[in-house]
Amino acid sequence: MIRDCAIIFGYNEYSKQIAQQIYLEYPNFVLFTMNESKRTQAKAAGFESEIFDLSDDWKIIEERFDPSRVIVFCALENDADNVFLTISLRSSFEDIAIIALAQDHESAIKLTSAGANKVMPILQITANIIVEMLEKPTVTEVFHEILYENSALKIAQITIPKDSFVVGKHLYDLDCSEGFDIVILAIVDHELGATFSFTSKGHNHHIDPDDILIIVGYEEKIAAFSKALGAKV
Amino acid sequence: MLSRLLVELAFFLNVSPSYRRTKKFFRNLLENANYPYKKFFDFTMIAMITISVYILIRHVKHEVSPQWLFFNNYIISIFFLTEYLLRLWLHNSISKIIIEQYEYDLYLQRSFNFMGAFKKIAASKAGFVFSPAAIVDLLAIMPFFHELRMLRIFIIFRVFKLFRYTKSLRQLLSILASKKFEILTLVMFSAVMIMVSSVLIYVMEANVPTSKINTLFDAVYWSVVTIFTVGYGDFVPVTHEGRVVAMMIIMAGIAVIAFATSIVVSAFTEKLDHIKEEKLIDDVSKMKNIYLICGYNPLAHEVASRLASHKNTVVILEKNHEKVVSAQNDGFLVLTFDSALLHTYHTMQLDFNTQVNSVILLHESDVLNVYTALTIRGLSKSIPLLSILEKSENRRKLTLAGIDEIVYTQELIGLMSKEISGKPVAFEVIHALRSENSGVIIEEIILDAAMAKHFFEVECQELFQKRLIVLGLYRGEMKKFLFNPDARMVVDEGDIAIVIGTRTLINEFKALLHKKVRR
Repeated sequence: MIRDCAIIFGYNEYSKQIAQQIYLEYPNFVLFTMNESKRTQAKAAGFESEIFDLSDDWKIIEERFDPSRVIVFCALENDADNVFLTISLRSSFEDIAIIALAQDHESAIKLTSAGANKVMPILQITANIIVEMLEKPTVTEVFHEILYENSALKIAQITIPKDSFVVGKHLYDLDCSEGFDIVILAIVDHELGATFSFTSKGHNHHIDPDDILIIVGYEEKIAAFSKALGAKV
Repeated sequence: MLSRLLVELAFFLNVSPSYRRTKKFFRNLLENANYPYKKFFDFTMIAMITISVYILIRHVKHEVSPQWLFFNNYIISIFFLTEYLLRLWLHNSISKIIIEQYEYDLYLQRSFNFMGAFKKIAASKAGFVFSPAAIVDLLAIMPFFHELRMLRIFIIFRVFKLFRYTKSLRQLLSILASKKFEILTLVMFSAVMIMVSSVLIYVMEANVPTSKINTLFDAVYWSVVTIFTVGYGDFVPVTHEGRVVAMMIIMAGIAVIAFATSIVVSAFTEKLDHIKEEKLIDDVSKMKNIYLICGYNPLAHEVASRLASHKNTVVILEKNHEKVVSAQNDGFLVLTFDSALLHTYHTMQLDFNTQVNSVILLHESDVLNVYTALTIRGLSKSIPLLSILEKSENRRKLTLAGIDEIVYTQELIGLMSKEISGKPVAFEVIHALRSENSGVIIEEIILDAAMAKHFFEVECQELFQKRLIVLGLYRGEMKKFLFNPDARMVVDEGDIAIVIGTRTLINEFKALLHKKVRR
């Protein structure tokens, strides 16, 4: 399911940064704030914004969006409010994709229980990055290039189509490294579960339709590989 | 003429590099606890003291060979004498006193006052000579003690010299010295009690034929033995009056012991934190490869935990006492210091260039982080500085303060949000690699010439096929990342290989690379 609508709840430095990164990616984008002054600030920054409260009245979303096409960022400043917002959204919309920010690991667990699809624990993420910058500066640089910079090297996830030539093969039988000049980092093997497994773990996965490959490579190589698979990136 | 020569000599010594170097060497050897060779010197002195005391004890009932006696009486004494003279020399600078006197006289257009300079030198050196430690040193040297049997016991002064070479003994003395007034009060109280009870018991018992207390010395001896609750029982009062005195002094004795105990305990309690802090500073000053974290908060806790879990040495500086206690409870090595002050690093005797890997500024204030960065940059231009950025508008200020790496969490979250919304699984994979929780890690291996030569030879081994991913080679000089290199590529010395695999497999890979190098 393609999600082409994005909603950000809360207006603060985090949500501002998120908005700056994603608003061009989503044709339907709106920022919800809890009061008029924040709304004015968001508008001044160039974002379409609305006011909301933490009651269960989500008409504003129902009327404007198809929940199955919406991705929501819960970025309120207070973790307790974020948890309440998440549980409130989940109870109203089963299909909505919720990404929530948590100050720490404890709140992250609560947000997951409240129904967030993905939680970003700010403290842990920052600490991981700092330690990585100190211990593995080259890895940080490479990751930064792959993830955030406008370099040709990218990370991508490809869902295997039903009629792909790799269906029925084993992961280690694919010669992607030399043949396509890409590296397969991980696979979501639906036979084994919904989460991914690293290829380095040593398990030679049987590839089925709808399995997802997580690959790294240059943009044109990734495009060539997905074309060969008959898939979309 | 003599005065002129003296002044010239003083000026010569004052600027002579070799003289200054020699003096610095001996000052370090005798007084600088962090000087690496001091401990060898201290061990030598302790060994000599031990030999001296052993010979004294052995000589009581056995014959000791003349060589050992000579060694004890003269060699050790000469050694101690040399040390004494060196300490006398190092106590202050004669050349500086002469130059100061000369310049003073020159300013007032007088001729050089030789006697004035001499008096100042004598007064300053007397300060050393009459210090308790120097007196002990001098008594420990005197060889005539050893020749006269009665005075041999004075060799025990050498044992007192141990205070010079063992820090814990010096600390014990300084703790007791902090309670000088209380100890003096106790001594006075004990002395008065002993005097009163001695006189009373003497008056009551001296003329009683059945009593053993016949002299004033017997009375004083009995009082001392009783008041300090030893009570040998060799002298006992026999009269009713004497026994009443005994009861009184026994009660006073309990008070003396209780008072003495409380003085020592309270002195230790008061100084305990200080002693611990000193011990920590001492430990830190000897550490290497330190990650120095300035400021303690939840983020600092996370960073320190991760660094510590990778067996890194982490030292935290925090001035807030509550946060210090919190960091201590979390099991970190933390010093109660203001990281923004130059004084902190002087007290810690920290050499940034040789002891510290990186400084991580995690104060929740850009102002404080900038201030700390400038302090540290004043001490080291090259030490890597990483700082958290609280407000985006301050980024340039942090850069100007000399911070090499800036982490702006909000921006990071923004960038990640884009990835997570577009490629959620791919993001999960990267996050898992970063957090190292999945068992698979990403590692960088710096390749020397030999490792570079054998890199693909090892990588092509069956064990690593498909399971060890060589994501790429980072060529530092060109700042270029060569993605997915094949075995035909030439690997250069200094290249950094970025590999992904389980920790066990990567360790095996590294071990095999090193093995090839050794061959």
